[in-house]
Amino acid sequence: MNIHVNATKLRLTGVTKSFFTPRTGATTLAVAEMNLDIQAGEFICIVGPSGCGKSTVLNMIAGLDQPSTGSIEKDGKAITGPGADRGVMFQDYALMPWQTVEANVGFGLRHGTPGQNLSSNKRQERINHFIDLVGLKGSENKYPHQLSGGMRQRVALARLLANGPDILLLDEPLGALDAQTRLILQSELLRIWGETSPISERKTAIFITHDIEEAVLLADRVVVMSSHPGRVREVVNIDLARPRAGTARTNPRFGLLVEHIWSLIRDEAYRAIGGAQSETVSHENPH
Amino acid sequence: MKHSAFEQHARVVLRNLTLPVLLLVIWQLWASTLPVGSPAPSPVKVLETFFELISKGSLVSATVQSLGRVLMGFSVASAIGIALGLMMGTSPSVRENLDPIIESFRPIAPMAILPIAILWLGTGTPTALAIVAYASFFPVVVNTVHGVSHVDNKLISAAKTMGVSRLSILMRVVLPGALPSILLGTRLAMGVAWTAIIAAELAVGAKSGGGGSGGIGQMMFVFYAYNIDLNAIVVCMTVVGLVALTIDQIFKMLEKRLIPWRHEI
Repeated sequence: MNIHVNATKLRLTGVTKSFFTPRTGATTLAVAEMNLDIQAGEFICIVGPSGCGKSTVLNMIAGLDQPSTGSIEKDGKAITGPGADRGVMFQDYALMPWQTVEANVGFGLRHGTPGQNLSSNKRQERINHFIDLVGLKGSENKYPHQLSGGMRQRVALARLLANGPDILLLDEPLGALDAQTRLILQSELLRIWGETSPISERKTAIFITHDIEEAVLLADRVVVMSSHPGRVREVVNIDLARPRAGTARTNPRFGLLVEHIWSLIRDEAYRAIGGAQSETVSHENPH
Repeated sequence: MKHSAFEQHARVVLRNLTLPVLLLVIWQLWASTLPVGSPAPSPVKVLETFFELISKGSLVSATVQSLGRVLMGFSVASAIGIALGLMMGTSPSVRENLDPIIESFRPIAPMAILPIAILWLGTGTPTALAIVAYASFFPVVVNTVHGVSHVDNKLISAAKTMGVSRLSILMRVVLPGALPSILLGTRLAMGVAWTAIIAAELAVGAKSGGGGSGGIGQMMFVFYAYNIDLNAIVVCMTVVGLVALTIDQIFKMLEKRLIPWRHEI
């Protein structure tokens, strides 16, 4: 199979999503008119305040939710439902509590479409490879509740990669981690995604985060969304050289980009916490 | 000061046995104040009767018969209850149709269907099985539905995004996710099954005049209606309690085995 550089992997055309609340009889518009083209091998981060529809967009791409109007196409074909070609890493990892690390990583390979054409030896090889890749060797027989948040996150990542998806959909995967673990896993994510490999070998990734610095560190482009209804405010090109792991934060350009994105969502962030609108420029995260 | 594991265990046993032993002593003391030949039961006489009934073999065979009926009725009820519960928990239309029927039967006590059961099925094992199955069906089905509908939706979504088929999701996500609740339901069901069989055998014993039904409940009926042997009745009651306790312990062990992710926290 030939992957063309700069081929459009994913195309969102006029996508809206509205939810009907039976209790109140009201219809809320969660996502309004979203247009976005994502290239193969691109790393896209979506940032925005709570309620801007970030997760809804991700769920629609995953096929777990259908757009109310508009269309989402992958490689020119409309997405009609969930499939293993679009792997999802959920906010709280969604690991099966009754399965060990090994069984969780192998879940898709053993019970889903990704392992259909593989012998059980090949499956096992794949499982071991990805357990190794995320640094979980020795913890294969532990249950999720015996693991730290960072380790659970690694299990979820290994499971995602083991299924060999075309597109990685990551819904605030690092959100629940402490600051140090988060920094380490950001670098690891870049390594595993293939920051040092040519674009043609990278996976297309869509990563949702609250953390602007995280978005700038990871993304080729940052989609900044605003809320009520959720819409794209601006798509910011992150023109920092790769590999970035470890070095990008010291680049003055890094700070400027963070500042710019913060300026786009600052007002809304202040309104969300009920505080006064601030004139002073701040580097704080809009939490 | 540190205590050895054995010492700690002994302390726990000692502490938990204080009140029961005290009550037995008071009971025995009270019985010893009664005139000789009184039919009132006492711990010592109960123990004597127990060994007497054991040596005759009748106590063991009655217990085994009751237990066999419980296990059979319970198994049938669990199979139907879990299957229906899975269907109800996953399909809203099945649930909306079955829920009113199940909920309107649920308040009807197992004993209340006994007259019909006896008229249709006679006074033997079929009636006992029907009563046990009826009694244990409800805890199983209600807890299965609860378990299935409370399986984390994220896990089902995750399985869908891994290309897992609907049947596999049912078997690999919904069933294990609902397992703690299902096991709780079966444990409760076993408890009511055991109480139902004793009550059914007692009642059937009354109907057939102490004849053919057998089981420990009927044994009690004979001691009550014909022999008027209070000590033997207490023996039967104690055996019923001990068997129930043992079954419950087995279920707790089973739970630990089947849901290790819950017990290592």
